[in-house]
Amino acid sequence: MGDMPESDTSVTPVGGTAVVERPIENELVQTPWVTIVWDDPVNLMSYVTHVFRTYFGYPKAKANKLMLQVHLEGKAIVSSGTREEMERDVKAMHEYGLWATLDTTEG
Amino acid sequence: MKKFKRRGTVISSHLSEYEVSLLTNLVDQLIGMVAEDQQLPDPDVDPFEALARDLEQKSDPPEDPVLRRLFPDAYPADPEASADFRRFTQRELSEKKVTEALAVRAGLEQTQGGAYEVKIPVAEADVWLRTLTSLRLAVAVRLGISDADSADELADLPDDDPRAFMTSIYDWLGFAEETLISAL
Repeated sequence: MGDMPESDTSVTPVGGTAVVERPIENELVQTPWVTIVWDDPVNLMSYVTHVFRTYFGYPKAKANKLMLQVHLEGKAIVSSGTREEMERDVKAMHEYGLWATLDTTEG
Repeated sequence: MKKFKRRGTVISSHLSEYEVSLLTNLVDQLIGMVAEDQQLPDPDVDPFEALARDLEQKSDPPEDPVLRRLFPDAYPADPEASADFRRFTQRELSEKKVTEALAVRAGLEQTQGGAYEVKIPVAEADVWLRTLTSLRLAVAVRLGISDADSADELADLPDDDPRAFMTSIYDWLGFAEETLISAL
């Protein structure tokens, strides 16, 4: 991803309220398709985070974490669901210019 | 250009006449490329012919590498599934890109060659962001940026390198996109 000087990427917990988040992996048993976003050398880190917040409605911390995963690990699973739902998400990612694919979780 | 700044529900910046002209030209090229590939309806075309074209949806990956990057395969290991996906989605994706690029173009025209600031309602910021992204992707493909190394290589080009001008456009588009996101 492109490194431009940048906005706040720190992760600050919301004071007082515990937020329990089920890792995406736990959802995979019932919903066997996933959307994967791949790293690319063009898209800005801030833009990728923005897309995850805007389209998926993820809170800033989660969007940031997924963006960093894409950036550092080369890819990240950003959503899971039925095949139809994942096609919808992949299409949306392509609208935003991200590189996304879908896959089953079964080997 | 100056950084984009938000005041209330409007994000604005002053672009020079040259910048307005450059960006308009890039947007026109994008529209031309996407619309031509999809043979999007031209008001002068016979409606029956347009309908016949509609029925022949494309399913092969595009030949042009820019279009391949704008419309990537959804199932990299399954060409048939990818072809089906492409057949159902590429047209809508193309139409959306063209519609949004036209909105950006209209916004640029309203500056009257940079005499006035470009003004983007916050609700339309994503239209500009998606269009700027498409432009950056297109320029990157033309520059041969395929990974982090090829991107880095462009940082130290001598001024007489043929890629120097396009690289400065690429950097400028990145600046515009980055400051627009910051202003949100």
